[in-house]
Amino acid sequence: MRAAAEERRWAKTYPWLGEDPVPTESCISQDVYEREVEKVFKKVWLHVGRVEELPEAGSYKLKRLDFASTSVLLIRGKDGVIRAFHNTCSHRGNTVVTPEGEWDNFGRKAAFSCRFHAWTYNDRGELIGAQEETGMPPCFKKAENGLAPINCDLWEGFIFINLAPRPAQGLREYLGEMGAHFSGFPYAEITHSFTYYTYLNCNWKVGLDAFSEAYHVNTIHAGSFPGTFSTGLQMIKLLGDHRTTAVCFNPPKEAPPVAALAQTKARGSLVNNVQQTILPPTLNDEKRDDYAFELSVFFPNWLLHVSEGIWFTHQFWPLSRDRCLWEGKYYVKPPTTHSEKWALEHAVVLQRNAWLEDTATMEGTFFSLLSGSKKFMNLHDEEILVRHGYHVLEKYLSAD
Amino acid sequence: MARLLPEGFEELEPWVSEWALPTQNRRWGRRLASTKEELTAFYAAVLPYLERILERADAHPLGQLPEPVARLFDLALMHAEIAPNAELYDGDPNVPYSFEEQRFIAVHGNDEH
Repeated sequence: MRAAAEERRWAKTYPWLGEDPVPTESCISQDVYEREVEKVFKKVWLHVGRVEELPEAGSYKLKRLDFASTSVLLIRGKDGVIRAFHNTCSHRGNTVVTPEGEWDNFGRKAAFSCRFHAWTYNDRGELIGAQEETGMPPCFKKAENGLAPINCDLWEGFIFINLAPRPAQGLREYLGEMGAHFSGFPYAEITHSFTYYTYLNCNWKVGLDAFSEAYHVNTIHAGSFPGTFSTGLQMIKLLGDHRTTAVCFNPPKEAPPVAALAQTKARGSLVNNVQQTILPPTLNDEKRDDYAFELSVFFPNWLLHVSEGIWFTHQFWPLSRDRCLWEGKYYVKPPTTHSEKWALEHAVVLQRNAWLEDTATMEGTFFSLLSGSKKFMNLHDEEILVRHGYHVLEKYLSAD
Repeated sequence: MARLLPEGFEELEPWVSEWALPTQNRRWGRRLASTKEELTAFYAAVLPYLERILERADAHPLGQLPEPVARLFDLALMHAEIAPNAELYDGDPNVPYSFEEQRFIAVHGNDEH
């Protein structure tokens, strides 16, 4: 297929990763799952939102984190600062913001009042009132009974939390070179978003891994992107616990009529040549003409992709060993005309269809792994990001 | 009787009642409920008008379309929904070899236009 790939170029570039098969146990073991929760998801920085989701003082986002049996309540304060709390009342533990449905809730409140007994918190999570307060015992101190805070920090407008009471690293240190690599892209200017999500009956890593390589593109996307991607992964960088690569392709010479028209009208699309780059100099540092987008995995569960005029993300949230939540988000500049809006609809539909192709294998893969009939997966050189993921995970799971 | 579509697009009027839909969820549902024959016939009927529809809609500021033009533009959006099926999937109303489409939830899916 690709001459360079046949030479095992990435194994030679990163020999310390080895080339051994990877045990499948990691995806099906209950013990591994429980250790992932304790040693990874409750310890490291997790991406949970964008600042634009909380536009004003009192704006909030409620995000359920099943693996930790909690919901994180993000609130933008009157001082502009975004803070994170457990959505748990200090009285008898009810949810303060009553969730609607299983997925994220958004809204704006002047104060956050628990429905159970009307204990009320302000935008800083401080308890400001309770019903018939004089009935509380003398030992009860209002000042000590705000919402339980969660460590929260921002990078490039992305909101991260860390559930550990005392995180081992700050967010900047945690992101390290990966943060530097992806800084400077105009995320905040490209905020018109399309979000899809679904609940998948598979281990979260089965989903994450399927998006962490481009080896599947010629097969899985033979429908939506026929003959499009040809030059594979380039400029792979393994940056601490994180990993990134350029995905390169030459667009097909002849697009069918509607696809061709959409390309002339689009403000931004994957299959779209542009003259001037908006990418920071760290991306496509080899200045390849066939550069399409950057595919990256921020450990443990977030994929960020950036391209000319668009960016998109995937995230896989563990719900149990057997189940995860997938969220796919696609960001563009808002259309200014109807024809741009139409071209955008075409681009989003095509992207959604590609994601429908991507997610098609995940439940089947997990179900057949459960058989135990294959103890190892045999990774191709082009799947080195998947290999790196298991390498980093093992480092965390074997730590004290 | 008031016209359903602007002048010059009368030929597309038979498609309006079932295919001029204002949200992505409804357009997606219409595609999934259609047959290969319906889908390819709609694709072929709108295609020759597509550039003229976009020009007609661009005569108005974004989001400010008079009713007949709004219907016309909804036909173009519906066409964007089914174009990959007609052009890439051999007219199959589903995305072939895909995840169950009904299980994908579009957060923006009920937004108008």
